[in-house]
Amino acid sequence: MLAYTLRRIAQLVPVLLVLSVAVFAFVEALPGSIVDTLVGTEGGDIEEARAILTKEYGLDRPVHERYVLWLGRALQGDLGKSLVTRRPISTELLSRIPATVYLASVGIVLSMLIAVPLGTFAAVRRNSAVDYTAQVTSLAGISIPEFWFAILCVLLFSLYLGWLPSSGYVSPLEDFWGSLQFLILPAAAIGFRQAAFTTRLTRSSMLDELSKEYVDTARSLGHSERKVIFKYTLRNAMIPTITISGLQLANLLGGTVVLESIFAWPGIGRAIFEAILQRDYPLIQAGVLVLGVIVVVMNLLVDLTYRLLNPRVKLA
Amino acid sequence: MSDEATKKGNERTRRSFLTATTALAGTALVGEHAFADARKRNPKRGGTLRFGTRDDSIALDTHRNIIYFVSHPLTGITGGLVDFDDKMQPKPAVAESWDSSSDLMTWTFKLRRGAEYHNGQTIDAESVKWNIERIKDPKTSHAFTRSVLSDVERVTVDDKHTIRFHLKEAHAALDINLIYYPVNLMAPGAVDTVDTHPVNCGPFKFKSWRRLDVCELVRFENFWETDSEGNSLPYLDGLIGRPKKEDRVRLTALRTGELDLIDNVAYADAPAFKKDHGKTFETYPVPQVGTAMMFFNLKNGLLSEKDNPDAHLLRQAIAHAIDHEGIHQAVFNGIGEISKGFYSSASPWHSKDIEGWPKFDPDKAKSLRKKAKGGDEKFTIIANDTFPYMQQSGELVHAMLKDAGFNAVLEILPSPVMLEKQNKGDYNIDSTANSYRLDPDGWYGRNILSSAPENRRRIGYKNEKADQIILAARKERDPVKRRLMYADVETLVNRDLPMLYTHFVPLMMAGNRARVKNYAVSYSGPWSYSGAGMRRTWIEG
Repeated sequence: MLAYTLRRIAQLVPVLLVLSVAVFAFVEALPGSIVDTLVGTEGGDIEEARAILTKEYGLDRPVHERYVLWLGRALQGDLGKSLVTRRPISTELLSRIPATVYLASVGIVLSMLIAVPLGTFAAVRRNSAVDYTAQVTSLAGISIPEFWFAILCVLLFSLYLGWLPSSGYVSPLEDFWGSLQFLILPAAAIGFRQAAFTTRLTRSSMLDELSKEYVDTARSLGHSERKVIFKYTLRNAMIPTITISGLQLANLLGGTVVLESIFAWPGIGRAIFEAILQRDYPLIQAGVLVLGVIVVVMNLLVDLTYRLLNPRVKLA
Repeated sequence: MSDEATKKGNERTRRSFLTATTALAGTALVGEHAFADARKRNPKRGGTLRFGTRDDSIALDTHRNIIYFVSHPLTGITGGLVDFDDKMQPKPAVAESWDSSSDLMTWTFKLRRGAEYHNGQTIDAESVKWNIERIKDPKTSHAFTRSVLSDVERVTVDDKHTIRFHLKEAHAALDINLIYYPVNLMAPGAVDTVDTHPVNCGPFKFKSWRRLDVCELVRFENFWETDSEGNSLPYLDGLIGRPKKEDRVRLTALRTGELDLIDNVAYADAPAFKKDHGKTFETYPVPQVGTAMMFFNLKNGLLSEKDNPDAHLLRQAIAHAIDHEGIHQAVFNGIGEISKGFYSSASPWHSKDIEGWPKFDPDKAKSLRKKAKGGDEKFTIIANDTFPYMQQSGELVHAMLKDAGFNAVLEILPSPVMLEKQNKGDYNIDSTANSYRLDPDGWYGRNILSSAPENRRRIGYKNEKADQIILAARKERDPVKRRLMYADVETLVNRDLPMLYTHFVPLMMAGNRARVKNYAVSYSGPWSYSGAGMRRTWIEG
């Protein structure tokens, strides 16, 4: 397992390299230049200012040369400075990662806490009231846009009931209980929608497993229904659920720009979005690298989880 | 309250104590009744105001970046030689007085003694000179900031408290150009930390900033301004800026008590909010933050005389096709005024003597379009996606032109792409706006004058008569005469149609009545200005 993990980590390097080349080329191809946005427009010496800034930022060099320079510094752990704020990338971007991780993790945990029991019971009690409720609720969850549900939550819990703040963020390291107040609504908005997908997946996966012979064998051996469901069937049924939840988490860690805007959540998604709008190349590069690492690591964790759920699964 | 604010709060208390005991001794002489009145007049102090804004600064260096004084929390740290009041008129700030030579070629400013930067460094003439030179240097300043000093040839220091500006061309309004927005002063000794911890000289000191999240400022105890009773300003202990881009998110946060004051209540929400929640929330209408308009590309293309002999006829047809009342109702929800010139009726520079643009007349628009060469050709309208009213005005104008039979296409674009298109002249109409200019030369001299870089870049308009008037107005001291001169320029603009003014951009702020006390907004939107605004606001409860 250790060798497998190390091999997967080693695979991360070419993936990130290809990713960084693709992003560098993509950003280069975007219309509009950061120099234009920074120098302004009303002066009589715009060309001079543009030339100064272009040289200062090294944008007068060929794109491949800039890429190699950037890569060399990145390998030494120096992601550079934002061209817009002139502050280190670590300040601008990496400081936002905890907020994103906090929201995404709690959102996914919440969705699992809803989806796994609901999907399991819906499958075990197929065509019962529980099953119908689960199906209708999950269908509603899929159909309702996330931003609309978020706005409804804000209206109900913040504006009319006054129970929770409507937007903002407090770090859990500064004030844990205070941070929960700000977390509940965005996490619920994420959790509800993700739970809708996962519930349906868990249900269908459970139905599939329940029809297999090993379940009948377990029952014929006299195991209790609880043991058959939770010890044998659910563990196997969880593999696709874990796969999808892992991908959902990776997706959420990449940032949820709309929800971050609605809840004024200082996550990585908005930072990268703003960087793209302003053509802040180093920030975009660093952001994509971070997201790339997140996706690859999440995939690795998901694969490792298969083995925990079912020891017969072999990690190739 | 932060540790720093607490520490400074003690200093304040000591000073307050001295002020109070002096006042007490005085009032004891004039009797108990007078003392009671004096106490009543004294405002309460303190509290930290939570301010929700639509926008945020992009970085901390206040010379290199525009710190927009209407919607950036960071504005609170900025100060300069000259201030302005609620009518946007120049007032003494770090400069206590100033004078110009008879030929308007030299301006001399006497600095206030005892004025300090936030790090305690004295604001002397050498440090002001350093600031002006830094702003004039393209390596360290933004074009907008630098351009207001384009007439300044050099700056000399007469003595520690006297600085002299030597101009290339005579200018009657240099003092207005030196208002802290955009010519703000920063401590030369702290330039190394300008991108991480700016040290300026405004009413509030910088504490922390996370872009698009939070901006924390604390009261600058040694700010130069005092109220009429000698109490130092500002009254607030601090200010927390909370940029929340979405208008309704900001409004909801105000209603739930998470914010005390917000800017930019959406036009669609403003009337209902005022009606339904007027008892709980105060609204502060701002008549003119800027002016919206359609720029026509006269540099090249269908609407340019260079490429089309009937370009003026075509522009007239377009103007006849645009229903200003429709824009007033649909985009601005009936709030504010339709514009015939750059300055609204709330401004001292407003003039009634302007001949308006061609009136809305769809039939005439159609007949002129058919008559003009290129009337059936495709042309492009561009609009910036950053400001909703620019985008919505663009959409509406596009629909109106389609109704009049024009073959128009609309492109809603982000700022970098807009800039590229403008630089290349790759558009025909630009749905845009310009922020309020304190002195008219800031608009006419920098956007209508044929030699102005911005005119050359975006419009390409040239009218010799307009140029003569603008250059003459720059040297005219009498504001009444200047206003009439600019009215003549507006008439020429409305005839030639290098642009079509559409509407003044209004703004509504809103605050919690129970908490926000004594806040007033200046008529063009800034929240930090001499004599009122955020400087005389305090928080209760």
